Amino acid sequence: MNFLRLITCGVFVLSFAVLASCDKREGGRERGGYPRSETLYLAGSQWGDPNTFNPLVEPWLVAWPANDRFNIMYEPLTAYNSLTGATEPVLGTLVSFDTERVVVDIQPEARWSDGVPVTSTDVKFIYELGKRFPQATTAYVGEFVSGIKVDTIDGGIERVSFMVNKRERNNPLAILDQLQAIRIVPAHVFEKYLTDNNNDFEAVKKIKCDDKPVVSGPYTLEQYNNERIILARRDDYWGNKVLHGGALPVPKYIIHPIYKNNDHFAVGLQKGTLDASMNFIPRINERKKDGVRTWYDAPPYFVPGSMHFLYLNNTKAPLNDRNFRRAMAAAIDYAAINRLALSNYTPAMRPGLIMPEGLEKEYFNAEEVDAHSVPLGDTAYARRILSEAGYRSVFDDRGMLRFSIGPNGDTLPTLSIRAPAGWSDWEAIVNLVVSQLRAVGIDVREGFVDGSQYWPALPSGQFDIIMRKPPVAVTASLPWNRFNAVMSSRNWRPVGDGNSMNENEGRYNNPNSPDYNKRVDELLDIIPLMTDKDSLKAAYIELNNIFLTDQPVIPVCHLPEEYYQFSTKHWTGWPTEKNPFAPPQLPWVGSGRNTLWKLQPVTK
Amino acid sequence: MLKKYPTVRYVLQRAIWYFLTFLVAIALNFFLPRLGSDPVDIMMAQSSFSSPEIRKQTEENLRKSFGLIVIDKQGQIVRDEQGNAVRASKLSQLFNYSKQVLKGDLGTSFKNKKPVKEIILQALPWTIALQFPAILFGWICGNLLGALAAYRRGVFDKAIFPLALLMSSIPFFVFGMVLVYFFGIIWDIFPAVGAYSLQLTPGFYLDFLLSAAYHYVLPFFSIFLILAGGQAIGMRSMGIYELGTDYIKYAKWLGLKESRVLIYLFRNAMLPQLTGLALSIGAMVGGALITEMIFSYPGLGMAMLTAIQTNDYPVIQGVTLLITTSVLLANFTVDILIALLDPRVKASLAMDAK
Amino acid sequence: MLKLLRNLIKEPMFVIGMSLFLITMIAGLLGPSLYTASPNGMSYARPSAEYWLGTDNLGHDYVALLLRGLQNSLYVGFMAGIIATTIGTLVGLFAGFKGGLVDDILTMFTNLFIVIPSFVVLVLVSASWPEGRSLTLIAVLIGLTTWPWTARSVRAQAASLRGRDHISLARINGATNLQIIFKHILPYLASYVFMVFIMQVASGILSESAISMIGLGPIGEGSTSLGVILNTAKNNSAITYGYWWGIFPAAIVITMIVFALYLLNNSMEGVFNPRLRK
Repeated sequence: MNFLRLITCGVFVLSFAVLASCDKREGGRERGGYPRSETLYLAGSQWGDPNTFNPLVEPWLVAWPANDRFNIMYEPLTAYNSLTGATEPVLGTLVSFDTERVVVDIQPEARWSDGVPVTSTDVKFIYELGKRFPQATTAYVGEFVSGIKVDTIDGGIERVSFMVNKRERNNPLAILDQLQAIRIVPAHVFEKYLTDNNNDFEAVKKIKCDDKPVVSGPYTLEQYNNERIILARRDDYWGNKVLHGGALPVPKYIIHPIYKNNDHFAVGLQKGTLDASMNFIPRINERKKDGVRTWYDAPPYFVPGSMHFLYLNNTKAPLNDRNFRRAMAAAIDYAAINRLALSNYTPAMRPGLIMPEGLEKEYFNAEEVDAHSVPLGDTAYARRILSEAGYRSVFDDRGMLRFSIGPNGDTLPTLSIRAPAGWSDWEAIVNLVVSQLRAVGIDVREGFVDGSQYWPALPSGQFDIIMRKPPVAVTASLPWNRFNAVMSSRNWRPVGDGNSMNENEGRYNNPNSPDYNKRVDELLDIIPLMTDKDSLKAAYIELNNIFLTDQPVIPVCHLPEEYYQFSTKHWTGWPTEKNPFAPPQLPWVGSGRNTLWKLQPVTK
Repeated sequence: MLKKYPTVRYVLQRAIWYFLTFLVAIALNFFLPRLGSDPVDIMMAQSSFSSPEIRKQTEENLRKSFGLIVIDKQGQIVRDEQGNAVRASKLSQLFNYSKQVLKGDLGTSFKNKKPVKEIILQALPWTIALQFPAILFGWICGNLLGALAAYRRGVFDKAIFPLALLMSSIPFFVFGMVLVYFFGIIWDIFPAVGAYSLQLTPGFYLDFLLSAAYHYVLPFFSIFLILAGGQAIGMRSMGIYELGTDYIKYAKWLGLKESRVLIYLFRNAMLPQLTGLALSIGAMVGGALITEMIFSYPGLGMAMLTAIQTNDYPVIQGVTLLITTSVLLANFTVDILIALLDPRVKASLAMDAK
Repeated sequence: MLKLLRNLIKEPMFVIGMSLFLITMIAGLLGPSLYTASPNGMSYARPSAEYWLGTDNLGHDYVALLLRGLQNSLYVGFMAGIIATTIGTLVGLFAGFKGGLVDDILTMFTNLFIVIPSFVVLVLVSASWPEGRSLTLIAVLIGLTTWPWTARSVRAQAASLRGRDHISLARINGATNLQIIFKHILPYLASYVFMVFIMQVASGILSESAISMIGLGPIGEGSTSLGVILNTAKNNSAITYGYWWGIFPAAIVITMIVFALYLLNNSMEGVFNPRLRK
């Protein structure tokens, strides 16, 4: 019996040892086996099963990196550098932009992977696809661009002019955003697909484009399954010579692991199975001992770029009362939120929609802000505004809020703060906000709901308070697009089923009401057309002051647009504060992709 | 007519009832997901189209492709007086769905337009690989230990029994977390995440199988030990009960070898335990959701959870259809096995027939 | 009855189980009102003299959280246990006693609840409860989805009693079905039902923690449960970062309650069973 037991134990130990050693061995490439020193592991974009890589399909159905703004397979005309504010050339070079047109020269050397040159035909194909098929995902660009003119200049270079659509959006800034958002796809390939399918766009969308796709970027799809997507370097990428002085991107392969659980990114970085990720990982500074780094070595660790808000339903009592909203903004303890919920990732909060850091700093005016804003984190002030406006709160003998009463004597409803269940950082923020607001007598509660309850509530406006990060990318049009996202009444619709607004979901500033402040929409219309710095700054300050006075939404933190944390275990040479050759982004969007040419494998 | 064959009659009766249960379950599986929000609303809320016309067009296209609005014979959208598309009623959706299922078509996911069949076929092997060995080994080891404890009693039993009881009181995901904490993080011996090394392409070759086995160690033990504990307890009480029976006393009195008596004991106490095995294999499909979550294992549970969060009806229906079918089949098998193997049930069936 | 108790007290498993159970009950019932601590404003502070088990991500004292969580988990467990045992016993009794078509229909109903994965029902129903999931809602949903196991085992027991002499006697004396079920069958099964109830409470506590682990646990001030504590720790990378105090105390508390209940159940089985099988 004892002998048997000994043998069993031995077999177990031995087999584990064999397993452990084999796992680190590298097999032939036909079975995978991508050498660690040539492979970059990046994660955080793809969460679900990848299905299609067709860039014409709706972005939420398309797998990384054929979706969104990823520019390593399909490339846009330009790339925005969020660090310098420069528009850097990719397939095109920005020549000029004014209130009439945005002008771009197409790189004469740009080639598709099948050798066909990239031309204005490709550009017109994707930018004008909406005219042929209204359901095309790029159809919205017609609101900004009224037409595309192509001239040939010296040396046979094609010069493309995007004419500003004066009758609709009249916004050249937004066209600049589109230059980096819309990726050019090979017209000759997709025209053929269309012809083969009798111009049936829906049929073309069913093509998966996952087998040797024709791309223009430095990497192309090699293989994928539900656990990871693998890209391989294209050594004949046209841009190596034109944009990078003849150098090749260093990693031969890029693997995007598909994790189902936020915690696994931290595990991956810690164990060195992941090189960089773009998702929220709490207390990143504790991972330094494992070689995990961020842009700054000290708080806030990341470069702020986006604001997260509590959207308030401006049509519902008591949230329709400006005093009540201002009291809320004053009562929240932003420092505690930063420390407890956000691992100190936010710099000290300043009120308003203009960040006192980064490129928008030039529009920030501290005196104006202080003159118009409530003091942040001042509970005494919050209580005073509430009582001056006629609100009363009833607490029990343990000091817990029971209910509150409005100026006209009615008991106020308990307001629910919606956030998607399972988003741990937002849940923590909401938990803290609830206890802070209840302490001053504002009756709010957590309302964590599934995605199926969260998303539809936004456009229809059916919420009291909701956590929201508007889809505002760090682009040339900041902070205008942030103001637009929370204050514009352009598409104002009342709250309700079937009524949807994609900006200002809190229904601030109803154009049909007598209190309508038309100055807000005027400012939002003229700012994109302004070229004079001083008047632009004055306009921003005026708009920000209106925001501070009315407080339609409450900014709670300034977080990075995308988190960027990396491990130095297998790759070094990442951009940081001390070595800012590329912006703090994963090397797959904007000019962040320049990092790919600078990384160095760690040789052991 | 079948009075002469009570067992056949019984099997047929059970079959009819199980089929009825199946039908009702399908209808419930269809209607339950539809209690929540409309999946198209969720998608539209996450999209960034601003112009109302484009939004409406996109929305109609989505609804059309999901069969949520009425289409006439020419494939055109039927509209009401205001020009809005007429939404298909739930009953007509159920009718279409049943027709498709009978043709073997489970529909396509709303979320990423992947055929549901494909999603299930990709996830199912992982779920089976994760659970089947753990359940089987846990069952065998647990029963052996339980039988031993029942037979030996004394110190052996006093040690095994409380230990088994303690093991089975640990929630299996808690045990999984503890295993990850020690073996995956603190001591860093086993991988804490995933089902295989991502540089490998799944297939039948040595490197991949070894990598998968290496990644399998922690998930396996997180299920195996707890299951074995539960089984040991069940087997022990069955064993003690059987030990009190005359045939064992007789065998002992005859002086049969210990292992031989143990085999008799095991065989006879096993029937109820076999029921448990069949049921847990049936429930396997939906059973280890949290284990899959903790280890990022690409199984059915995860597919289901993601589908629920996005109201992806076809996937929810497809997976529940699979779970329903497998649990019902397992139950049915158990019923039949008992009727065929247990002499007492057999006798009562024969009596009923008279 | 007294003799039974005396037998039970002789059983060491019962004594251990009962003491563990009483300790958790007392801690859960009285703890939250006796022990309070204010947050210390630090995420995951290590255990110290002031905070014996450290603090969570929001700086809350873990001892206070665990006591509150224990209370709520027990509430959910008992509530779900009562609902499940009541429904399961009634369905099982009628199915087992009546037999025939009633049995077949009730068995089908029971099977239906077994085959539809209960977490799916939970998720879908609670998702259509827009104002959030309260502890009571979760307890009721657990109760409504876990009764089939009780129904199955009670049915088997009731069916075995059906042919007994005293039942036939009662029937001859003109007792109605209800009378027979409640007067002549239920008392015989009382100890069995009680043991089933203990198991249902344990499974209610386990189900609640499983639901919370998927991120669908109770929401609202003071409604934290042991499962929610574990889930919050998991979501805040407590495992990865080695914050053992975020996981182990809660894990041990859950295991202890369930262990106590299992001990009670098993020791009772040892004492009751010989009688039942006579």
